Amino acid sequence: MPTTDKRHQDVMKKIKLIMKDVSSDLMVSKTMPVLNVPKVGYDNTVWSEEKRMLTIGDKTVGISPDSTKKIPTFAQYLVMANAVRKLLDEEMESTIRGMYYATLSTVGDEKNKQKFWTGQENSDDAIKAIELLTGVPREEFSVTSKPKGMISGPITLRVGGDIIDCNLGSRATSQLIPTNIRDVEIVKVKADFVMVVEKDTVLNNIRKSGFIQKYNAILLTGSGEPDRATRMMVKTLNEEWKKPVVVFADADPWGLGIALRYKIGSESLSYDSDRLVTPDAKVLGMMFSDIDRYQIPEVARLAASDEDINRANDMKKKPWFQDKKWQKELDIFLKSKEKCELDAFFKHGFKYLAEVYLPEKLREAGVI
Amino acid sequence: MTQKATVEVTVAQDKPAKSKGRVRYDKKAESEFFVDNSALAGFTTERILYMAVRELIENSLDSCETAHILPRISLSLKTLDSGNDLWMITCEDNGIGVPPDKVPVAVCSFLTSGKYVEKQQRGLFGVGLKMIAAFSTKDTIHPLKVWSKSSEEESEHYFELRTDISTNKPIVLAKKALKEGEGKVAGESGFRVEAVLRARLSQITRNNIKNKINEYISQTSVVNPYAIVEFETDEGKVTFDRRTEVMPQPAKEVLPHPADMDLQTLKKAIMNFMNQKTTLQGVLSTSFQKLSSGKAKEIIDNAKLENKPADKYTEHELIEVVNICRQTSFQQANTDHLSPIGEEILTAGMTSEYTIVTNREYVPAAEGASAPEVQRPQISVKVLKPSLTAYASRTCVVNNRPTIVECGIAYGGDIPSFKLYRFANKIPLLYDEGSDVAKEVVSEVEINKMGISKKEVKEQFANPDAKSDRAVELLPLHIFFHICSTKIPYKTAGKESIASEGDLKKYMKACLSELYRKVSAQIRKELRMKEAASRLNLYKHYIPLIVTAISESITVDSAKLEQAFAELAEKHVKGETTGLAVSEKEDEITGERLEEESEEVVEIDGEVIKPDREQIAINAARKKGKMSKPKGKKKEIPETLQKKNDPENQTTLDTVIDKPKGRKK
Repeated sequence: MPTTDKRHQDVMKKIKLIMKDVSSDLMVSKTMPVLNVPKVGYDNTVWSEEKRMLTIGDKTVGISPDSTKKIPTFAQYLVMANAVRKLLDEEMESTIRGMYYATLSTVGDEKNKQKFWTGQENSDDAIKAIELLTGVPREEFSVTSKPKGMISGPITLRVGGDIIDCNLGSRATSQLIPTNIRDVEIVKVKADFVMVVEKDTVLNNIRKSGFIQKYNAILLTGSGEPDRATRMMVKTLNEEWKKPVVVFADADPWGLGIALRYKIGSESLSYDSDRLVTPDAKVLGMMFSDIDRYQIPEVARLAASDEDINRANDMKKKPWFQDKKWQKELDIFLKSKEKCELDAFFKHGFKYLAEVYLPEKLREAGVI
Repeated sequence: MTQKATVEVTVAQDKPAKSKGRVRYDKKAESEFFVDNSALAGFTTERILYMAVRELIENSLDSCETAHILPRISLSLKTLDSGNDLWMITCEDNGIGVPPDKVPVAVCSFLTSGKYVEKQQRGLFGVGLKMIAAFSTKDTIHPLKVWSKSSEEESEHYFELRTDISTNKPIVLAKKALKEGEGKVAGESGFRVEAVLRARLSQITRNNIKNKINEYISQTSVVNPYAIVEFETDEGKVTFDRRTEVMPQPAKEVLPHPADMDLQTLKKAIMNFMNQKTTLQGVLSTSFQKLSSGKAKEIIDNAKLENKPADKYTEHELIEVVNICRQTSFQQANTDHLSPIGEEILTAGMTSEYTIVTNREYVPAAEGASAPEVQRPQISVKVLKPSLTAYASRTCVVNNRPTIVECGIAYGGDIPSFKLYRFANKIPLLYDEGSDVAKEVVSEVEINKMGISKKEVKEQFANPDAKSDRAVELLPLHIFFHICSTKIPYKTAGKESIASEGDLKKYMKACLSELYRKVSAQIRKELRMKEAASRLNLYKHYIPLIVTAISESITVDSAKLEQAFAELAEKHVKGETTGLAVSEKEDEITGERLEEESEEVVEIDGEVIKPDREQIAINAARKKGKMSKPKGKKKEIPETLQKKNDPENQTTLDTVIDKPKGRKK
């Protein structure tokens, strides 16, 4: 029951505290209120050697109605905070899109009317600000996003009261990873290891080949940029269920970036790394050296863009990238200026990826 | 100026068989030529009324200014017979009038004019009034009626005239000297014309033309604020008051400048000394300006000619003289023959700008009648008073002629929107604005010379109705350009737009830039005030949203909260506009207020918070919420200071999050 839910009460208390501070600034000390929101972004992201993950620094952004630019933002944050409070009050849950609709309105008079939100991204940012102001992730206050991650393999989940067995015998489908993580519980894990791939197309191929049954693995994908539920699922499997985690992504700086989301976290969610990052995950492929090693045909290789090159040069300097093996890989990329997707293995035959490449890589890493 | 009636070549069509290949050469009368080619003078079917108004007003103003008489002009344009598209146009002035013996030719004979001299005047060709007379003769049975009281004569004369179009000669139907009391001309001297014209216009063109006429008269009054102009139409009567007694210095007739000499001018000069045995040296030095006797000798020597009586030269020798003159540099021509409007007069025109507006008036239906209310347009004068004006001028040489560029701007006040006014020799140019050099000048002079950026302008003056999104055209700004010269570089025969010839554009830009700089301080101030107003507006719109969000979440007196917020916002905005540091100001005021209001109890969420307890309350609250990420407030630093010191803080969360992360495939 949410109202009696301690965590929900805590969020509501924090929201009320914000409101109270604002009111007291306005009515008692007669000064413009300021919401000091921890700053999110590359210039406030700190690498923690100890935790082996990206964490948030101590810079903050002052959002105050004292400047024309920030009046709307200030109002948006307070309106969103109030909407979250209402949601919890009514014991409901909502997607981020739902929150956007619940708070839609216009500002101004007939002559000069503006939309309160310029788009959903705008409202998503306000939700993020509430997370930062309260220090509570949005799943805790029942605001979720559309599920995107997928899971397959010998694992049983309980979502609310329902039991979901992800070891689907037909090999024909995967289970979406629910985003209302507060209601999700892992009941049983029989797998030996967890394999994360970048894209759903690759996951489907591997699942269909019978890889899960043969190697007793759990397959997971975030379908590109992983959502929080997917990242948390990986972390829980690794840290609570002690299952080794391996990650495969495309051999390009972008794919590598996605793989690192699981392993070290991301700048835009650096404030939540403690819940989302799996430092023990191993990024096994696809290596830039694999392009030549597995003789990917010329036609399946892609030329690196300027952006790719910049990104790789950037990565090379990062403190978490000082491993000699990885430095060598990046040098290979910067020299050849060639990238490649996992799908390129299909050129060698549809089963090549699942039956030759992956087992070889896993064996080398000692996972199987 | 010496435009001659053209000999027209016509192929005889009547007897094609016999006269095959034979060409008949006819001499055509000037009047016939102009009637046939009326578009040359701007008299198209659509514009005939507009042109008639224009010609009459210009004649009247010229007539007054020649003798430095403060003009008083009454113009009327009314429907006479709507079934036959007949209009009655009347114009009366208090100018010098026309001597009675000259009236018939002055009114009816084309290319007869008192204006063929080297000085700036509105009319030049001696075509306008004649065109009205010819069209009146051609299209109607009504004679042209003229009352003239010449300053040289005692009595007023009355004429009824028509034009013999085939011979360019006047037909005098009636002529009589009027006795005391019979006259119509009110002043000591003056001229009055009454003409009937036919103009078949569709409803749309009629409205269009009426608007153009109103616009023409309005603009004329801006550059002639010393004139009283009365204008009467079917929609009512308006009067433009005289706003200044100052009149521009009348233009003086001057000798031609030698740089502009051609064979014709030279021969004409020599003709004036016919049979006087004057030498060429003498003719040159007396017929041209900036040409001393010594200089004339030099020219003749350079042309390798001997100095002999001027009429003894061959054309071949004369053209040599012309060529040498073209190559020789002379002192810049004087500008006595030009009559600029001048700062004082243009400023008077700009500071109370009279315009004709048309109001739609509802006339209630007559009692008992079943007809619905009818809309009746009604004209009236609106006076626009800008909050500031400025003036600049430059003299330059364009087309070998001295040219004066005058520029004025009027900003703010009652001015609702941007407008560009163009004048050439005090005549408003209303058509073809898009191709005029003034338009180019306005778009090329950067608005930041006013000390404001395009972005600021677009933010503060955004107007969904604006036709253009060019920043300068969003400002409530009127820009006036006046070019005066005896040879305006018109782009087309219609004389409606000026070409960017020679250095004209450069000088116009210099004028406008100078003005932008002159008004920059004032405009910046206005812009800041406008910004403050729009910020207050922003607060007005956002405060209720914020107050609702708060009062739904916690128990608080929302009326008090809203009031406190609104007061704070106002103080904040004011503090920034006056440029005083808010912190200082607030220190003073807050100090007082805190004392005053310490009695007052503020209750927030069931908790009574007093100012002195404030810090404690907040600290306590903070302890309770220590789970939350840093949300500490730096109370001791006023927000404004904090903002200035830490530009990093300007980056909002949004911008950081919005940073593109998109993958390019």
